[in-house]
Amino acid sequence: MTTTEHIDFADLQIGYQFPVVEETVTQPVIDEAALAHLDFNPVHTNIRWSQRAQVFGTPKTVAHGMYTISQMTSVVLRHWLHANARITKLDIKLTKPVPVGSVVRAYADIRELHPRGPGQDLVTVGVRAVDQDDATVGIGDITVQIAK
Amino acid sequence: MGGELDQKERLSQYPLTARQRGFEWDFTKGCESYEVWDEIEIGRSAVAQNTFEVQVEDILDFNRSCLETDPVFLDETNPRPHPLFVVMVTFYCIGTGIGSWIRTPGARNPGQTIEFVEDFVPGEVITATITHNDKWIRRGSYYMEDLVELRNQDDVLKARWYVRLLLPPTRADVIRFAEL
Repeated sequence: MTTTEHIDFADLQIGYQFPVVEETVTQPVIDEAALAHLDFNPVHTNIRWSQRAQVFGTPKTVAHGMYTISQMTSVVLRHWLHANARITKLDIKLTKPVPVGSVVRAYADIRELHPRGPGQDLVTVGVRAVDQDDATVGIGDITVQIAK
Repeated sequence: MGGELDQKERLSQYPLTARQRGFEWDFTKGCESYEVWDEIEIGRSAVAQNTFEVQVEDILDFNRSCLETDPVFLDETNPRPHPLFVVMVTFYCIGTGIGSWIRTPGARNPGQTIEFVEDFVPGEVITATITHNDKWIRRGSYYMEDLVELRNQDDVLKARWYVRLLLPPTRADVIRFAEL
């Protein structure tokens, strides 16, 4: 993963694409998310319950929606981690469940530039996550404030 | 409410923080007392059941769960929190009090809106104020939305989360899911 160390707002361009993040969703990934989120909904961690309940129409456990959102956030976070950038808002819709065994790829590109003045400039980054069949599982915007 | 043993045995094998050891892992337990969609009063607001003292090990654990590997996230003394750390704080604060519908078995996540005002800092004590913001029916699904405002001990706003889920609409529906 390449990272950026300093962002000059004037140099940013609509359409700029961030390096893609790709992860395979295994049961240990889901388990560790459950422990970290303190979200122990059985649809994530209880394998036998999930087989019976099939909340999402699958007998498999599914990843936390917040895990998918965290991966979509990480696309921006990792690339600009060491730069003068700070995520201030996310607004993401989840459109498809992510059963255990899925491969999720998250993409991001700059959609809007908001020149509000030094230290107050904002960037709207469009984010999208897809599964191994290239079906969209999440889509939305992340707002980033660019410091001086 | 069987079937929880595979979950408990598996999760126990991970290295656990003090907070995780002290938290109930079976969300089907006590679900008959959770708030349910058809009984929730929109506009009701209250301070959440628990406060959250931010610990370094909480931040490290959360960052690892997001599969972060940069040293900035894994610094053993001063890790930078992933923005989504708000999730751990919120689930802990809500517990089984106001906002407990977020634990509902059978719930689905349609997407979220979160505003990040300031990073969390180890040693801060976070209080959550929960407001039942809206509920609606769309295409046969029952949506619930709370506004969660997280503030530190100096009343500084840290984050604001519009938490949304699709819920089983009645207590009977919730219990039916839990008993599967």
